[in-house]
Amino acid sequence: MQIVVLAKVVPDYEVPSADFELVENRAHPRYTRMIGLYDENAVEVGVQLKEKLGADLTIVSYGLSDDVQFLRKALAMGADKIVLVEGNSDDPYVIAANLKDAIDRQGSVDLVLAGRQSSDMDRGVVPGLLAGMLDYPFVPQACSVENVDGGWKIAQITETGKRLMKLTGKGVLSITSVPENVPRIPAVKAIFAAKKKPVEKLAEIGARSMSISELSVTIPKMESVCELIPAEDMDDAVRVLLRRLKEERFL
Amino acid sequence: MERVPYWNISHGLLIDLLSLPALAVFGYGIYRHWCRIRQGKASIRLGLTLDALKLGPVYVRSFLTRGIVGTPIYKKLFTGIAHGLLFWGMVLLSVGTMLVFANVLFKLPVFKGEFNRLFMGLTLDAAGLAALAGVLFLLIRRLFPPERLTCFKANSAFILIEAGIIAIIVTGFFIEGARIAQTGVDPGSFVGNWLAAQLAGLGTLPAIHRYLWWTHGLISLALIAYIPYSPLVHLVLAPANAGLDIPLPGPKMGVIDFEAFEGEGDETPSLGVSKLADFSRKNLLDISTCLKCGRCHEVCPAAQTGKRLSPKGVMVTLAEYLQQGKMDDDSLLDTISIDAIYSCTTCAACMEACPVAVNQPNAILRMRQHLLMERSEIPDIMGQAHRSLEARHHPFVGTGFGPNDWRKGLDVPFYEKDTTEYLLWIGCSVAYEERTQNIARAMVAILKNAGVSFGILEENRCTGDPAKQMGNEFLFTEIAGQNIEEFNELGVTRVITLCPHCFNSFTRHYPLLGAKFDVIPHAVLIRNLIEAGTIRLANSGQAICYHDPCYLGRHNSVLSDPRQVVSSVGQLVEMPRSGCESFCCGAGGGNYWTEEEGTRINQTRAKEALDTGAVTIATACPFCMLMLTDGLKKFTEEQMVKDIAELVCSQMEA
Ligand code: SF4
Ligand code: SF4
Repeated sequence: MQIVVLAKVVPDYEVPSADFELVENRAHPRYTRMIGLYDENAVEVGVQLKEKLGADLTIVSYGLSDDVQFLRKALAMGADKIVLVEGNSDDPYVIAANLKDAIDRQGSVDLVLAGRQSSDMDRGVVPGLLAGMLDYPFVPQACSVENVDGGWKIAQITETGKRLMKLTGKGVLSITSVPENVPRIPAVKAIFAAKKKPVEKLAEIGARSMSISELSVTIPKMESVCELIPAEDMDDAVRVLLRRLKEERFL
Repeated sequence: MERVPYWNISHGLLIDLLSLPALAVFGYGIYRHWCRIRQGKASIRLGLTLDALKLGPVYVRSFLTRGIVGTPIYKKLFTGIAHGLLFWGMVLLSVGTMLVFANVLFKLPVFKGEFNRLFMGLTLDAAGLAALAGVLFLLIRRLFPPERLTCFKANSAFILIEAGIIAIIVTGFFIEGARIAQTGVDPGSFVGNWLAAQLAGLGTLPAIHRYLWWTHGLISLALIAYIPYSPLVHLVLAPANAGLDIPLPGPKMGVIDFEAFEGEGDETPSLGVSKLADFSRKNLLDISTCLKCGRCHEVCPAAQTGKRLSPKGVMVTLAEYLQQGKMDDDSLLDTISIDAIYSCTTCAACMEACPVAVNQPNAILRMRQHLLMERSEIPDIMGQAHRSLEARHHPFVGTGFGPNDWRKGLDVPFYEKDTTEYLLWIGCSVAYEERTQNIARAMVAILKNAGVSFGILEENRCTGDPAKQMGNEFLFTEIAGQNIEEFNELGVTRVITLCPHCFNSFTRHYPLLGAKFDVIPHAVLIRNLIEAGTIRLANSGQAICYHDPCYLGRHNSVLSDPRQVVSSVGQLVEMPRSGCESFCCGAGGGNYWTEEEGTRINQTRAKEALDTGAVTIATACPFCMLMLTDGLKKFTEEQMVKDIAELVCSQMEA
C-alpha cells in the first residue's frame, strides 16, 4: 500500500502583519521557509496511517530545489521518501499537472492526502484539480481517515458539524487541522535517519496554465487611528464607546 | 587515682573485637551503595577549567565546607545548631573512645594530668551534653515534624537512630557516674562527678555499671553497623557528594555530542534518561544521598504553588526505584509524571537549599531530554513555542513583531569586523515582546551616552537556550552552532547580554561547542560605567525593590552589581527572599510558555515585591520583567516593573 502526501514549502505563515512586506508581489525572501500549516497536519495523518497499516509514505512536492531541507521534516516525522518536482509556478493548473505526473511515476498509489489549503496562496484548489486529473473522488475538509474493509472511513469537518462517509477505492483528501493531527515533534534519531532517506527530484513538465493573470497584489496596511473617549463618567463612557463601535461597524 | 580503662569489666577487649564484625557489616553496606552507584554512566565532562583545588576527582574546598562542616545546614539556624552540636559532640566522643582504646593497646598516657582533666574529663562531658541537647531537639522535631519532613515520605528511621544515640549518651554518662561513685572524683568530669554524687551509696552499683557498660558498647557497635543501611549513611555519602560536585552553581547540564549520531542509524545511544541506568554516577550518588529533608520542597516555586512537581517527591521516587534495584524499569518517567518533569523552572532554588549537595534539576532535565528527544512528548503550549523555535529559530509563537522591529526609527550601529568592540546581543525575549523591546532601546541610549563602541547583528536571533531548557539539546546545538559560526565570521570577541539566559548559555554551554568570546551581562557593564563615572545619574531617592533573576543571581552569582546600579538611581529595598534565596518568576525552563496549574508563580512573586512598599520593581531579565508585569496585574494597574537599563536611562544626566 502506498500513501502520498502533498506538501508545499512556504514562507513563514505567521509573520506579524506589521513586519510583512512584498517583493514582486510575493512575500519577501527574508522570511524563514517551512512546510505549510495544514500540509503538516496531512503529513501527520499520513504517518499515523503508515504506522497502522504499514503503508509506504511518499511526500510529493512542487517547488524550489532548496525546499528539500524543509521537506526533510516530513521524513523525520515518519515519511519514507520525497519526490520534488522543481518549478516555480503559482498556477494551480500547472502545479496540479506536475503533481499528477509525479504521482503517476510512483506506481500504485492508494490514497493522496493534502493540506486543505497552502499557507501562502490560501486557495485550496490544487487538491481538487489534481483529483480531477487523476480521476479520483475528492473529499475536502477531512480531519480523520481510517481503513475499513478495503475502503476508507473519512470524517469531514466544517464549522457547522461533522460528517462521516465511506470511500471505496482511491481518492484525494484535503486535510484540516484537529487536535488529533497536530504534527508530532520528530525524535532526534528520526531527524538523523531522515538525512539518509531518498529524495527524488523531477524536472517540471510543460502544462497548460489557467487563463488567469495576476494584476496586482496588496496587503492590508497596519494603521492606528486613536480616538479618546472622555471617561469622567464611566456609564457615559461605556455608552459612547458602544455607540462609536457600532457606528464604525466593529460590532 | 588514675582512671583505669575497662575498670570493673572482665574481658572488656571483647567489645574491641566485636567492632571487627560491626565494621565488616558497615563496610559491606557501603560497598553495596558503591555497587548501585557504579551502575551509572560516567559523568558528562563539562570541559570548563575551574580555578579550584582538586585532589583526584574531589573538590577540596567543597568537600570541607559543604561536606564536612556542613555549611548549608545552618541556613535553618536551630536545626543547624542542633545538628552541629550532635555531630561535633559525637566526633569528640568518638575521639575519646579511640584514645581509651589507644591507652589499652599502646599505653598512651591519656589519663594523666591536665589532658585528662581538660579533655578526657571536661571536654568529653561537655561534648556528651551538647550531643544530647542536639539529638533531643532533632528527636522532638521528628515527633512533631514540619510538613517538609513528612511530605511524600518521612525518613522515620531517624527516630530509631536518634533514640539509639540518646541511649548511648545516657548510658555513657551513667557508666561514668557509677564508676566515679566507686573510684573517687575524676578531675574535670563535671557530669560524671555530679551523677556519682546522686548514685553514691547504691548497693548494686558495680552490677549496674557492668550492665550499662556492655549495653553502651553493644548499642554503639550496632549503630555503626546500621549506618549504611539507614539514613545515617549521609555521614559518608554527604561529604562524598559535596566533594564530587563541581563547584559551580546551577544544574551543570553540559552539552551532548551528536557526532555519534551521524554514523549508523541504529546503534545510537538513547538520549536523556528513561530509566535509572541512564543516569550518571553523580546522579545516582545524589539519589542515594538525599535525606528526604524536604528543604528543597519548601523553596521550589512549582511545589509551593500547587504543581505536580516537588524536587523532594522526585528524589523519593528515584530513591525507591534505586532501593528496589529497578535499574532498567522504564516506567520511571510516567511514575514521576510528564507534568512534573516539565514544571521545573530550572531555578535551582532546590540546589541552593539542599544540605547534601544534591543536583535535583539535573536529574529532572535529563528526564525531560528523553521525553522530548526520544518520546516527542511536551505540554501543548510549550510544544507550540518549541515548534516555532524549530521553524523560525525563536520561541515567541504568535508574536506581533519582526526580529528588528524594536529598533524601528532608531539609529543603531551594526557590528563591524575589527572596528566594533562590543556586540550588543539582543536575543528573542527582548525582540518579540512590546514591553521588553524598550530594554534594548534603553541600553542603546546608555551605550551611546557612555561612548562605548558597540554594534548589533543585522538580523536579530535567539541563543537557542529555550530549546535546551525544554529538553531539546539537539536543536540547541544546531542553533548555537550557527550563532558561533556567525560570531567567528564577524570576529566577535566581546558580547553584552540583556538576558541572563543568553548570558548563561554563552558562558556555560557555548564554550563547549567551540565558542571563544567574553560575555558581560548588561548589569555588570552598567555598573562599571557608573563606577568609572562614564555615565552620571540623578538619584530619585525612590524605593526600588530588586528581583534577582535566577540565571543572574543563583546561577551566576551576579548579585551585587545590579544592586549597586539600583542604589545609584534610587533607594534599594529587599524582598524577604532575595539574593541566592530569591524566588523564581516562573518563566525558566521553558515555563514562560505554559498553562499553569494551581496558583501562578508570577503572582506570588509580584505580591512579595509589592508588599515591600517599593514604588518600582527592578529586575535585570526580560523574562522576569514579562512575568512580573503580568503577575502584578492581579494587584494593581500600575506599570511598576522596570529593567535596570530603563531605570538608568531615565535617570541619566547628559
Ligand atoms: S530547579 Fe526550581 S523549579 Fe526545578 S525542582 Fe528545583 S526548585 Fe523546583
Ligand atoms: S534533595 Fe536535598 S533538600 Fe531535597 S529532600 Fe533530598 S536532601 Fe533534602
